[in-house]
Amino acid sequence: MSGKHINLTLKVWRQKGPKDHGSLVEYQAKNVSEDASFLEMVDSVNEELISKGDEPIAFDHDCREGICGSCGFVIDGEAHGPLKSTTVCQLHMRNFSDGATLTIEPFRAKSFPVIKDLMVDRSAFDRIISAGGFISVNNGNAVDANAVLIPKTDADEAMSSATCIGCGACVAACKNASAALFTSAKISHMALLPQGQVERKERALNMVAAMDAQGFGSCTTTGACEAACPKEIQLTNISRMNREYFAATATKRPKHKDGGAG
Amino acid sequence: MSIFLGSTVGKKFLMGITGLIWAGFVLAHMAGNLLIFFSNDAYNSYGHALTSGNIIYIAETVLILALLIHVGTAVLLTRANRQAKGSAYVVVSQGKKKATLASRTMAVQGSMVLAFIILHIITFKYGTYYETNVHGIVMRDLAKLISEVFSEPGYVAWYVVCLVLLGFHLSHGVGSTFQSLGLMEGTYRNLWKKLSCVYAIIVALGFISQPLYIFLSAH
Amino acid sequence: MANKLDNKIPSGPIETKWTNAKFNNKLVNPANKRKHSVIVVGAGLAGASAAASLGELGYKVKVFCVHESPRRAHSVAAQGGINAAKNYQNDGDSTYRLFYDTIKGGDFRAREANVFRLAEVSAKIIDQMVAQGVPFAREYGGTLSNRSFGGAQVSRTFYARGQTGQQLLLGAYSEMMRQVDAGNIELRYRREMLDLVVIDGKARGIIVRNLLTGEIESHEADAVVLASGGYSNVFFLSTNAMNCAVTAAWKAHKRGAYFANPCYTQIHPTCIPVHGENQSKLTLMSESLRNDGRIWVPKLVGDKRHPNDVPESERDYFLERIYPSFGNLAPRDVASRQAKYCCDEGRGVSETGKAVYLDFADSIKRLGQDKISERYGNLFEMYDKITGQNPYQQPMMIYPAPHYTMGGLWVDYNLESTVPGLFVAGEANFSDHGANRLGASALMQGLADGYFVLPYTLGNYLGGAKLDKISSTHDGFKAAVDNVMKDISKLMNIKGNRTADSFHKELGHVMWEYCGMARSEVGLKKALQEIPKIKEEFWNNLRIPGDVNYINAELEKAGRVADFIELGELMCRDALERKESCGGHFREEYQVDGEAQRDDTNFCHVAAWEHTGDNKPEVRHKEELTFDNVHLATRSYK
Repeated sequence: MSGKHINLTLKVWRQKGPKDHGSLVEYQAKNVSEDASFLEMVDSVNEELISKGDEPIAFDHDCREGICGSCGFVIDGEAHGPLKSTTVCQLHMRNFSDGATLTIEPFRAKSFPVIKDLMVDRSAFDRIISAGGFISVNNGNAVDANAVLIPKTDADEAMSSATCIGCGACVAACKNASAALFTSAKISHMALLPQGQVERKERALNMVAAMDAQGFGSCTTTGACEAACPKEIQLTNISRMNREYFAATATKRPKHKDGGAG
Repeated sequence: MSIFLGSTVGKKFLMGITGLIWAGFVLAHMAGNLLIFFSNDAYNSYGHALTSGNIIYIAETVLILALLIHVGTAVLLTRANRQAKGSAYVVVSQGKKKATLASRTMAVQGSMVLAFIILHIITFKYGTYYETNVHGIVMRDLAKLISEVFSEPGYVAWYVVCLVLLGFHLSHGVGSTFQSLGLMEGTYRNLWKKLSCVYAIIVALGFISQPLYIFLSAH
Repeated sequence: MANKLDNKIPSGPIETKWTNAKFNNKLVNPANKRKHSVIVVGAGLAGASAAASLGELGYKVKVFCVHESPRRAHSVAAQGGINAAKNYQNDGDSTYRLFYDTIKGGDFRAREANVFRLAEVSAKIIDQMVAQGVPFAREYGGTLSNRSFGGAQVSRTFYARGQTGQQLLLGAYSEMMRQVDAGNIELRYRREMLDLVVIDGKARGIIVRNLLTGEIESHEADAVVLASGGYSNVFFLSTNAMNCAVTAAWKAHKRGAYFANPCYTQIHPTCIPVHGENQSKLTLMSESLRNDGRIWVPKLVGDKRHPNDVPESERDYFLERIYPSFGNLAPRDVASRQAKYCCDEGRGVSETGKAVYLDFADSIKRLGQDKISERYGNLFEMYDKITGQNPYQQPMMIYPAPHYTMGGLWVDYNLESTVPGLFVAGEANFSDHGANRLGASALMQGLADGYFVLPYTLGNYLGGAKLDKISSTHDGFKAAVDNVMKDISKLMNIKGNRTADSFHKELGHVMWEYCGMARSEVGLKKALQEIPKIKEEFWNNLRIPGDVNYINAELEKAGRVADFIELGELMCRDALERKESCGGHFREEYQVDGEAQRDDTNFCHVAAWEHTGDNKPEVRHKEELTFDNVHLATRSYK
């Protein structure tokens, strides 16, 4: 808690709607507390805009503690800004120097169309999950939780993959707008656990197909996603997804028709 | 199979496999080149041995096919990727989150390397045919051709640049192949990465040493 | 009126109530389920698990969430864990003990039957979530790990690093997405519920605003489940997410759903202190930190030394001193209040004097930095990021902050509100936590409601209710749409000078000052004078820029603030009327040695408020609480 204050020049992408052209507009952020978060800094710029009768800068945000995955934009070409393992809501102004000029743009990817200003539509991620990012277990009759033992290292590794917040920074940072890190994190999480084994192949096939169908690019292993990821999801997940997918296509069994019962 | 190859993951797999074929070839090629350090005769005999059987036709077919698939898939994926990205950022990342240069410029390097391969084949395979006699066998004197070509500074410079690019392409490409094939995890993750870097450096330096050696010993 | 508060608790011994209720429930046959539609508002733990279960059963479900994806609901932010009476640690836990701890933790202001059911299904929740692939922490032998939480002397809390809420939410979300894929659930995101439609006395639909287009939409159904979360944001600064609001619940309240115990709010002891005027929210540090962290302040008033320079003998580990048996793991309300007292005495730390230390030095010495980092690494990093201080090297600074609201819409045993066909789940209802919620119990309650209670009780309603077919063109919908449009244009046309946030901050300040950690008659009366003034100015001097027919964050905020203002007033009235101290509701007039003094003779009841019309006073109803299985005791953690 330093109590110091800084001044900044912001160039912010303003775009009225999905079909409009956007452009960078310059604003001054004056007397910003170093203890404020980046979003709080934008809040105060917005308060000023509103008091002048202008429309505030639109951006998605919610929990402001780096876990809901709502927030995210690009600061000087970097998704979630210059600090690693951080979302913009957890990025504090003490990481910027007085007098700096910052360019703020929305996440860019064709599958993440801009809705307004810094808001983008990331529902493509939901469609990837609904294609197979689950374990089909009906409610109410699960066996005792300790009936299946899971090695701690497997559970920990699965947790590291499952920690993805779905913010989309991986797609934003990737020059190919690939969703491989996001998709693979879910495939990995479930492939690493015994509960995920039954649907393992189907899941890999369906989720990769959904990822492609949503129009994301392919992974060329630049590692930009890993560097941008606020939750440190690792590239190894993508490797695991590739192997899962290959194994699934190579060993997939045909579907059989059900007979009527009685 | 069609599902597999239709997917981005499958295409990357294909690129990886075809890339590995070429990676194997360039390593052998580089090793062969080093024979020039022993003697011109050794070098020429090696070239002669390679071209005298039918095996060369099989190898050439495989290599050409692999190259066509590699380049073809690359073109398809690159186009799709550019489309997927849509528009670029006004400001480009310069900080800690920036990807490596090699990984960001694979398509450019690849195109340069492709141009280089074509010119390289024209220069040598279809270049001036000198003859020499080694232990009673008449064969092509490639050593003479390369010493002619590599005495020109322009040629050497072009070669060195292209081979450095090849090194870059391999350093990212080979490592990335293990990723595409699904081997980049667990205990060997970092080993694969390091191996591909070491490999790329050896190949690039090995190749570069030949024109440099010839150029420097001629001047 | 009295029959309106029929809690419908089944007869029989507490252990068999739920089993009997399930057996006596009416059933809907599989073919008929498809003909019934259910609306679920909110997609947090309660909403997503309810939607997933109902979809799986075959009902036609429509889910509405205010977020751009259901995975962003604020359940995601719960850090510490989820309780379950599994007794995996062999430390004497049981359904009965969890039941007792929860009742006692809630300061004997919750319904016995509800809490027992919660404890009963708690174990099944863990089974269910593990089967869904939630990667809970495990021991080297492969079994599940547990940690302790406040208010309990057994280890029954299951956790996934400091992200338990996230993992559980993603589990429920993925099950819901499976039903979306199967065509059983229709998902509508970026929709905010702005009215409940009641036709022939039954909840038959909702009116929502499409936040992207501004369009006002009508949706009909046979029943409505409200799982729209709590209202801590009435304080402006709280640990809740920015979009958390009372709006959906408040609109339902205005349509006839009673609001129960609005003054029961929880102030969480371990949050990062306030730093300045522009702060937008407070960040919680998991209660689990109190397992290994020791809370202290300097003994001397106004001691400005660096914490590491204060010798052991000059430190006051006040929780350990006052509550030797629970120590740093005293329940939240108790811990928060003691921290406040220390700061009121002038022994608070940081520049503002509104903070206490949470010190890990001893644990690091005892267990090593690696072990501490393994347990709390991500929390320590988060603290470092926010404050710029390294908690491995100097103690954290923490201060209480509004975190959870035990009050909410009144529901009976079946989670049905006073509006037939309107069910309320999770934090939005008032049911299980009494006057104070124990740590790791919110996740448990949300999932219990969604996975294990609603699928049965909602079926019972649908199986028994006579529901005419209606469409969204029914007059009831038209009237509600008109109403919503009128409210919106009223807000848009004020064209004053102040932002919604500025009013929200002003309200929050009043609420925190007079209806926060400690309340008094004088203060509450003052608040009841202040709030109408804020309301008056709000409706005359609000400014909303932008377009009504497109994304308009300011319009969204304004609507929510308008509802918070009304709720704030009701909270203060409720707090004023409840002339006792219990749990999170601490009235300064009613205390013994700084501890809450309950009045079981006069206040052993739920206060449920009825809305009687705009600008008319709300009417207070009582539901008496009876305790047949536990003895009403003074809560002691000493």
